[in-house]
Amino acid sequence: MKKLLGTLLFLGLLWACSSDNGEAPVPPTTGNPEPTPPQEVSFERNTMLVNWADNIIIPGYEAFDATLLDLMTSFENFKTDASSSNLEAFRSSWLTSYKSWQWISMFEIGPAEVLDFRLNMNIYPTDATKIDELIISGLYDLSLPSNRAAKGFPALDYLLNGLATTDEAIVSKFNGENKEELLAYIDAVLADMKTRTASILSDWKSEYRNTFVSNDGASATASVDRFVNDYVFYYEKFLRAGKMGIPLGVFSGSTLPQNVEAFYEPEISNVLFLEGLQAVQDFFNGKHYGSDTSGESLASYLDALNTLKDGEDLTKVINDQLNKAREMVETLDAFRVEIENNDPPTDMLLAYDEVQRAVPLFKVDMVSAMSISIDFVDADGD
Amino acid sequence: MKKVLLILAFPAVIFTTSCSSDDNDPPIVAIDPTCTDGVQNGDETGVDCGGSCTPCTAAIDNPASYTFERDGESTISFDGQTTRLKMGDELLSAFKVETNTAEKIQAMYAHLEGVMDFEDADLNASDKNIRSKTAASADYFSANATDQALIRADFDGWISAQVTEVFPNWGVVATAGTAGQLADGSSTRYVSAKGLEYNQLFNKGLIGALTVDQALNNYLSPAVLDAGENRADNDENVVAEGKPYTNMEHKWDEAYGYVFGLNADSADPNADLGADSFLNKYVGRVEGDADFAGIADDIFQAFKLGRAAIVAKAYDVRDEQAELIKEKISEIIGIRAVYYLQQAKVPLAGETPAYGTAFHDLSEGYGFIYSLQFTRKPNSSDAYFTKAEVDAFLTDLMDDGANGLWDVTPETLDGIATAIAERFDFTLAQAAE
Repeated sequence: MKKLLGTLLFLGLLWACSSDNGEAPVPPTTGNPEPTPPQEVSFERNTMLVNWADNIIIPGYEAFDATLLDLMTSFENFKTDASSSNLEAFRSSWLTSYKSWQWISMFEIGPAEVLDFRLNMNIYPTDATKIDELIISGLYDLSLPSNRAAKGFPALDYLLNGLATTDEAIVSKFNGENKEELLAYIDAVLADMKTRTASILSDWKSEYRNTFVSNDGASATASVDRFVNDYVFYYEKFLRAGKMGIPLGVFSGSTLPQNVEAFYEPEISNVLFLEGLQAVQDFFNGKHYGSDTSGESLASYLDALNTLKDGEDLTKVINDQLNKAREMVETLDAFRVEIENNDPPTDMLLAYDEVQRAVPLFKVDMVSAMSISIDFVDADGD
Repeated sequence: MKKVLLILAFPAVIFTTSCSSDDNDPPIVAIDPTCTDGVQNGDETGVDCGGSCTPCTAAIDNPASYTFERDGESTISFDGQTTRLKMGDELLSAFKVETNTAEKIQAMYAHLEGVMDFEDADLNASDKNIRSKTAASADYFSANATDQALIRADFDGWISAQVTEVFPNWGVVATAGTAGQLADGSSTRYVSAKGLEYNQLFNKGLIGALTVDQALNNYLSPAVLDAGENRADNDENVVAEGKPYTNMEHKWDEAYGYVFGLNADSADPNADLGADSFLNKYVGRVEGDADFAGIADDIFQAFKLGRAAIVAKAYDVRDEQAELIKEKISEIIGIRAVYYLQQAKVPLAGETPAYGTAFHDLSEGYGFIYSLQFTRKPNSSDAYFTKAEVDAFLTDLMDDGANGLWDVTPETLDGIATAIAERFDFTLAQAAE
């Protein structure tokens, strides 16, 4: 009996072994093209990092921080007198700050990354139901990850523009029975935004600026490599997909107009997109924040590498593509209107396609010229 | 004595399946049945087949979609599977409501007919539940009550741990050694002190313990397909009492139901893969990986041909298809286990490790590793990994430091992933992307 069992087992083993023989001898591959070997060029990554930090990133944070101060001042006025005119002024400060945000949202590195800055400031669609619940309960800890969709700019959008359908009705809410709870909640939201921003700005101005600038090598963990990854990721996921592709239904198969940025004030979705696009392009060209002066940049780096795309200067190809995308978006109605009134929203889809066309220019052509590997992958989605 | 019996048994089997036994019958009376005369006579149900001859085999009529009828009525039925998948989806939601008690969630898991455990009234009315089908296949557990009890204790334990460890810290940020919430992109994950998401363990563990085990080791098993009079009944088209299907057809469809039970069109289920949170979703995910494109159709085609073979009484074809399904579905489990272990390395490697993202991946991976013990090697009675091997992997995953996943190293993840991939017919790199 044992002998027979042994024989059977042996046959089974033989069979099991042979099943592995079909394994194809394919060498392991990664999804990214092999970076081209470094070339001999006279380009100082350190100079570019200094330009980024001192002339673009830190001034950008400073300007944004200042808009938050203005926003808090407007809120204080509104708190004292919740009038229509003070609501208008509060909204106006909110818009100014929201536009300024678009210039720094892409810098998700260092202290911003540690604080998960972008998703603490700007998750949309906002969770209006949760906001209502938190306001009524009066008990909330806005530092919790689970409350990120109930704060930041989109929460303010809801509270300033979406509490009711008319301005009169909104103003009356701020003079009604839940007045104190509402104002306390806005206070907490603004404090959360200001604290995070101040902490990031202060880190940049003390330790992190030098850490960032001195890590000027060429490796996966060097500042340029890491930042370029963050920059391309921002363009692809937040500017292209978040502001246009997702509401257009490009990834879901059906349109999601409720997912536009600033859903309750839809005329400004386009404005915010265009700010973000300009910020991306100015950063590419090394343009100093709020100035016409330029310094060393991704563009000048490509020029130094003498990078061509189909015989054309890649810097020019990228700028032309971004300009074309901007022109297309500028002709559109409010994104929400485009999406809700057109089936399919062809004009906006055509504009989206132009925005998309810059993705491979950044993600393939630019990074391979610079020997930078893209390290992010599409998330699993569950 | 046993040896002799066994040896005698083999020729006996061969002998009875042969028709040559009739050759020696005296050819005196014309109406006597004979299995080789080219005429339907005696108790034959077809020409030279059926009755006391070999069963009649027809050419297999393999339809384009999973559509099978008898007298104009569909013979496909897998209500019980659909019900359990729906119960599973509601049960998973219950893990995310921090006011739920362990008793409430446990009652959903071990539902009793008529108890108001679910939102869906049809589920409340059902006499089905998930727990009694957890680690309950004929092949693996009919004689292994010990492992069955241990496995069910794991699932019970994940429910109670969610309630006693994670729910009290729902509004707390998790740190090493403290349960609570963590950001994962724009999502929020709720983990134990060691970084485990119990809802993911439960979900991905059930893919193995319920859907894979029931489909591969129960309903596709000859022990179930051919149980009792199933084969004789199927040969003679004897349907189950009051039903349009034979028992064998129904058993096969029940396996199908654990894979495709919630798809909108059961005749063409691959059109909306991801219809449930269990096996169906991950057939879709693996199909979406270019290295494995076509696997969803392979599984579907094998189910369809196997089912058509049952109608045609071609049991060898049926069993070939069952083996193919076992191989492919087992592969899905192996691929996803490796995938999550490899994916988790990326968020852990950053300057600011994204623990929420990594722990979510690893909790899914934990569940898929757990499910490996329910896989089935084709033409074998064994899983790709034994329970002991699975337990060892899971211990390895959690013991790099005192705080479990907070301390896990890329070397540990690579070690486990490599060991899993080596036993399957795919490479680490194929599964990792």
